[in-house]
Amino acid sequence: MSFLVIEGLHKRYGATSVFSDIRCNIERGEFVTLLGPSGCGKSTLLRCVAGLTEVDGGAIRLDGQDLLPLPPQKRGIGMVFQSYALFPNMTVAQNVAFGLRMQKVARAERARRVAEVLALVELTELADRYPQQLSGGQSQRVALARSLVTRPRLLLLDEPLSALDARIRKHLREEIRRIQRELGLTTLFVTHDQEEALTLSDRILLMDAGRIVQDGSAEALYTQPASAFAAGFIGHYNLLDAETASRLLGRPVSGRVAIRPEAIRLGSGPLSGEIRGRSLLGNVIRYRVASRGVELSVDVLNRSAADLLLSGRTVALEIAPEAIRELEG
Amino acid sequence: MRRAESGPARLYHRLVVWALFLILLLPLAGTLLYSLATSWSATVLPSGLTLKWYLALWSDARFLTAFGHSLVVCVGALLLSVLLILPLLFVVHYHFPRLDGLMNVLILLPFAIPPVVSSVGLLQLYAGGPLPLTGTPWILIGCYFTVALPFMYRAISNNLLAINLRDLMDAARVHGASTWQAAFWVVLPNLRKGVVVALFLSFSFLLGEFVFANLLVGTRYETLQVYLNNMRNSSGHFNSALVISYFFFVLVCTWIANHLNRDLP
Repeated sequence: MSFLVIEGLHKRYGATSVFSDIRCNIERGEFVTLLGPSGCGKSTLLRCVAGLTEVDGGAIRLDGQDLLPLPPQKRGIGMVFQSYALFPNMTVAQNVAFGLRMQKVARAERARRVAEVLALVELTELADRYPQQLSGGQSQRVALARSLVTRPRLLLLDEPLSALDARIRKHLREEIRRIQRELGLTTLFVTHDQEEALTLSDRILLMDAGRIVQDGSAEALYTQPASAFAAGFIGHYNLLDAETASRLLGRPVSGRVAIRPEAIRLGSGPLSGEIRGRSLLGNVIRYRVASRGVELSVDVLNRSAADLLLSGRTVALEIAPEAIRELEG
Repeated sequence: MRRAESGPARLYHRLVVWALFLILLLPLAGTLLYSLATSWSATVLPSGLTLKWYLALWSDARFLTAFGHSLVVCVGALLLSVLLILPLLFVVHYHFPRLDGLMNVLILLPFAIPPVVSSVGLLQLYAGGPLPLTGTPWILIGCYFTVALPFMYRAISNNLLAINLRDLMDAARVHGASTWQAAFWVVLPNLRKGVVVALFLSFSFLLGEFVFANLLVGTRYETLQVYLNNMRNSSGHFNSALVISYFFFVLVCTWIANHLNRDLP
């Protein structure tokens, strides 16, 4: 049996259902991301696992133990919040020691374990600071240390990086992954950021309107989106309806078609198109190309300025057949 | 900080500030001087300085009793309000945020009803019947609780909003605290600032309360303000010494409150 099992979970507020019939299995040591737009129920699901929100039906089992009758403090779970939620009246060391103090761990043992976990998040020298004196990135590392010190069975991360600026976010992302691997910690991570999900996760659960719509590895999710929603949420897919797709591909297509922008090659191929515009994304240039009356996004590696294609130019283009993904529904 | 403008504008600003300061200070300075004067009637300045009025005041048993009464009533009312309002606010903010709107209306009631009106009502209610409280300090404690309620509620409520109560509680609970432990170890220490401000604000306000004290209890449990009123026909120097003593006491309390709040991280 899997380490964390969620079965038929329901949650509603009044008449509106937040999610219904959620089921998933998470293996020991796995890093799983709940990815979805805001309001899809992913944070509520996480809070249900933590015990901070009541569920209306279903079961959550951790290591064979039924979690639902337990209050949050008895679940053996660590959690990091988007707002850090550090205790302002305590120093960094006291914040981190909080869980151990509640468990009545002896003072000496407590100090040893706090020092250990502060070293793990590289904050040893800030132990005596108060939360107001920390930057956002430091605060979130303290919050991470606070949730790790009790050696939880399961770590829950609720959009921990969303309030941080881009550079800190990347750095902390790698830190979280390193620590998670070092400790072999089973982790459930919630985000609305597809890049975070793709870079961090062993597995991604894509959620939409209270349902898990796709469950798979980052590669599978990226290359084989199961639905128009998945294709629209992950990457920057060109989404075409059946009629437009048939016109572009020159063969009848029954459903909607998704084509990844980097799977279209410019410069040679059977199709011809006109450059309509471009935007520079850094290492990638995204062109808008019109071919057979269909406007497509095409991503090209930004190798040199001399290769830039100007608007109005006509180019040949080719769509890799294996990248054409026909979607059901 | 931005430097003030130079020349006439700056002079004008200083003038306004000093003028305001003088207007506020002048009566107090006059009272202080009068309380230290041997006699001061037909001359510009007092004829001599003395501490005898203060000595007389602070050795007057009736004054000391009244002062003690005031302290008992104020501290009692504030204790009651802390014990009732803290848990109430916690429940309102954590479990029933919608009640905050209702509470905001309720705490306006003590302002909406003039003390003279409500004391007449209170007199009728508590003069006899099952709870004959009129003339005892108990009715003042209960009544002062309602007077302190708006100050206490607003100050602590603002403090609660500023600390992100829900996330702090969630974090504490996930990391092993029961609701009670979370409230005690995490929420309460972070409310210290709001509670201290509310307490001292209400304290100095209640110490100066006269209408309720005079109408509900009067001389049967004489408080400071009632004593001051009853002494209005005695020497003006003596009364000045009383006012200055009272003012100085409130000043010291305020200073202590500020000091207590400063050493927060």
